[in-house]
Amino acid sequence: MNAQDTDRLTSVFRTLFNEPGLELRDTLTARDVDGWDSLNHVNLMILIEEEFGVRFTTGEVSALQDVGELKRLLSGKLAARRAA
Amino acid sequence: MAGTATLTKVRQRLVDTLFEDIRARHPRSINGVMEARAAFPDRYADLADTFVGWAIHAWGGDALPGMVDAFVRFTTSVNMSQARYERAGHYENKTFQDCLSSLYNEKESMDDYLLGVYLTNFLWAHHAEICFRFEDNFLKRLRSVKTLVEIAPGHGGWGALALKHLPTARLLGYDISPSSIRLATELMAGAGFGSRATYELTDALDLDVVPAESADAVICNFLIEHLERPDKLCAVIHHLLKPGGQWFLTGAITAAQVDHIYEFRYESELVRMAEQAGLRVTETFSGAPRRTLPNARFLPRSMMLIGQKRTNDIY
Repeated sequence: MNAQDTDRLTSVFRTLFNEPGLELRDTLTARDVDGWDSLNHVNLMILIEEEFGVRFTTGEVSALQDVGELKRLLSGKLAARRAA
Repeated sequence: MAGTATLTKVRQRLVDTLFEDIRARHPRSINGVMEARAAFPDRYADLADTFVGWAIHAWGGDALPGMVDAFVRFTTSVNMSQARYERAGHYENKTFQDCLSSLYNEKESMDDYLLGVYLTNFLWAHHAEICFRFEDNFLKRLRSVKTLVEIAPGHGGWGALALKHLPTARLLGYDISPSSIRLATELMAGAGFGSRATYELTDALDLDVVPAESADAVICNFLIEHLERPDKLCAVIHHLLKPGGQWFLTGAITAAQVDHIYEFRYESELVRMAEQAGLRVTETFSGAPRRTLPNARFLPRSMMLIGQKRTNDIY
């Protein structure tokens, strides 16, 4: 994921979880972020969909374990869109 | 009695194990299910033990982690659907055929779906509350029920709960999903009610197929919002019931799901639909999740209706 997209993704996280200093390291999980529960996970994914113009499946959303997986999933969708 | 106490302890340990599994492997989901457990401190353990015990007898203890995964996928799917509904202002799918081809006829996805839904009976607080009301306000008040019909038994849990409280009743269930027929049959056997339950792969909405005035009581849970013509379900309940027979129905209101196609917006719509079919509504309850999406326009509710087949214009 390029730096610009990483900044956009970070901005979504910081706004949703109200943590201006949050850094998106790949190993970051729900356990590390206050309020990252199942409902806010869905909020997060919908906001990312809107920010990047992509769409996630339920399987993709429920299977995500950490930010690294999210970045890879999002990068793949952005690459596929560019290639289309 | 000692055997019962031992079994209860074993089941309780399994419920604890299930919660720990959710905490360990699905930490995002633990808050919601802990809310359900905390909401009913006096009764929760019995309900959870019952459902977990039946599942273990039916499908084995090794099946529990897979059921937990199915529950998380189902809950995620529901929340995603609700979030998309909030943005679109209407349900995503409009036709029964869309759901039939993508879900109901697909064995793996339907099994996963039904097992996930099964756990919501006690892992979602508002569903646990409806289970308690099903027991207290419907099953415990029924008298001399010999024939109980269940339309769309799904995982079979509601029917098993019914037979637990109705020791002389026999249950006949109709469903269009082969997965449902198989899972409900297995669950009933696991619950020890297999000899009193029969399931048929039948579209119960076909009035030419289901026998008129054959049921002392009819139950149907969370089917009506899946139908293009929900009024037909009320007509079938009326058709099946003997005069004065009792019925129990649940439905979803402004609660999106990938296969919810009929959008009820108000409780009164369900009441009126039942009344227009010749059913008297004697009791209703509407429950919502404790937590909802921020700034939500729609409050997702699960509604329960209890009633009686009318014997004249009024009563």
